Amino acid sequence: MTGAPAPELPVRRAAVEPAGTLALTVGVRGKRCIATSQYHQGALRILRPHYLDDTSQVCYVVVNPGGGYVGGDEYEIDIAVETEARLLLTTQSATKVYRTPGTRAEQRTHIRLGPNASLESVPDPLIAYRGATYRQATVVEMHGSASLVMAEIVTPGWSPNGALFGYDEIRLRNEISVDGRLVVLDNLLIRPVTGAAPINGMAFLEDYTHMGSLLVMDARVDAALLNELHEQLLPLAEGCNLGMSLLDGGLVIRALSHATEPLDAVIRAGIDFLRFRWYGQPRLNLRKY
Amino acid sequence: MNEPPSYLLPLLQLSDSALPTGGFSHSFGMETFLERGLIDGEANFASWLSQFVSIQLTYSDGFALRLAFEAFSVDEIARVDRMVSAAALPREVREAGTKMGARMLAIAGTVAPGARLSGYAADVASGRCAGHPAVAFGVAGRQLGVPLEELLASYLFTAVTSLTQNAIRAIPIGQDAGQRVLLGTHPKIMDAVRRIQALESDDFGITAPGLEIAQMRHERQRVRMFMS
Repeated sequence: MTGAPAPELPVRRAAVEPAGTLALTVGVRGKRCIATSQYHQGALRILRPHYLDDTSQVCYVVVNPGGGYVGGDEYEIDIAVETEARLLLTTQSATKVYRTPGTRAEQRTHIRLGPNASLESVPDPLIAYRGATYRQATVVEMHGSASLVMAEIVTPGWSPNGALFGYDEIRLRNEISVDGRLVVLDNLLIRPVTGAAPINGMAFLEDYTHMGSLLVMDARVDAALLNELHEQLLPLAEGCNLGMSLLDGGLVIRALSHATEPLDAVIRAGIDFLRFRWYGQPRLNLRKY
Repeated sequence: MNEPPSYLLPLLQLSDSALPTGGFSHSFGMETFLERGLIDGEANFASWLSQFVSIQLTYSDGFALRLAFEAFSVDEIARVDRMVSAAALPREVREAGTKMGARMLAIAGTVAPGARLSGYAADVASGRCAGHPAVAFGVAGRQLGVPLEELLASYLFTAVTSLTQNAIRAIPIGQDAGQRVLLGTHPKIMDAVRRIQALESDDFGITAPGLEIAQMRHERQRVRMFMS
């Protein structure tokens, strides 16, 4: 058997060595919030902190110097926001998932929010290219007095033949527990070709291509607030399919559209409404630094 | 003389689509598509129904039923109840589960009494559990000794029958059309029963964006026949 080719090595790396690891703990020091510990390894970095307005809220920007996720990549992110601290977490650019032949790319995020802590997570869009399989799992454990605002936009990447949905599979799972009790199990699975139902059918996307989501967990959310928010967002959602509902201790906004911009407008308006209402903060402008 | 299994008659009773669990007042988002004109007859209703079977009835109701059936303790049942409630992001779907769950528990407590079921009923009464018909059905079926695959097929078929009867009234379509739609769901249900038995824990509560948005938009629909 000397002439036999060597067996092909699996693309997946050993589970003990993720492609990128990031750990960040934010606390209050003096009048402002700042990292009390941080660690990164591999293809995940964090930029120096910013303060976007005169509140204590600190903004950290996550960077992926590798440029994108490929097959076998595993990313682990661990975020803790301590008592009374406020963190705004964003990204430097879109998260791009390239072809993952025979395997997948995966990002696992663990978030812990202490008493009266707040996290706004406003990443750039996720772009999944032809042949990509991507799994994103986020587990949030929060105190009942903490506040979580978590945005997400998913867009299909361009493929050489111009066809949308070249990606194979996107799985987005958010598991949120408040005071140790599971309250939100948000689990989306999109397989354009091999899915449980046609991608262009009523259950999935009809003829829409882009998907946006905003999850808010905060004891200050009630039906009146949801109604107000709905009135604000509906006029911005022209050409979108917009749904909003009250969660057990929070609210959810879901929208489908034909492009990133209207989704971004709806979700940003939702975030701006809440940060002004709850903290008197100005509109979020992440591009000014 | 051969006799049917002892569970057959209780199972038929619990699977009767006329069972007063309130299914006649829930469309689970179908009414939004009706209002948008995307469902207006037999063909597109059948298409929606088969999508509903392969998503919500598979990853939420069906998987919850299986886990409740396989549960080894009252705590385990409570965990499944929490998961299926947390997985329903649209408020009306969550509330439909609670309402229909309470009714199913009351009826199953009469038809298939047992310690597991009364334990679950006590947890719902105390507020520890939200209540869900699939969980109650799974627990009752286990007590009756119904094989899981038969229990799943019965639950799924009852759910699609109830939705079809709602469609007959709401679209409207004829009774014969309704029977054709139901016959058409048979292979979908068989397929769902197979898939449910192979699901893994990460699959619990998987849904699809268009379905979820329709279930959310229903809250704000002005003229409605259904509560969800």
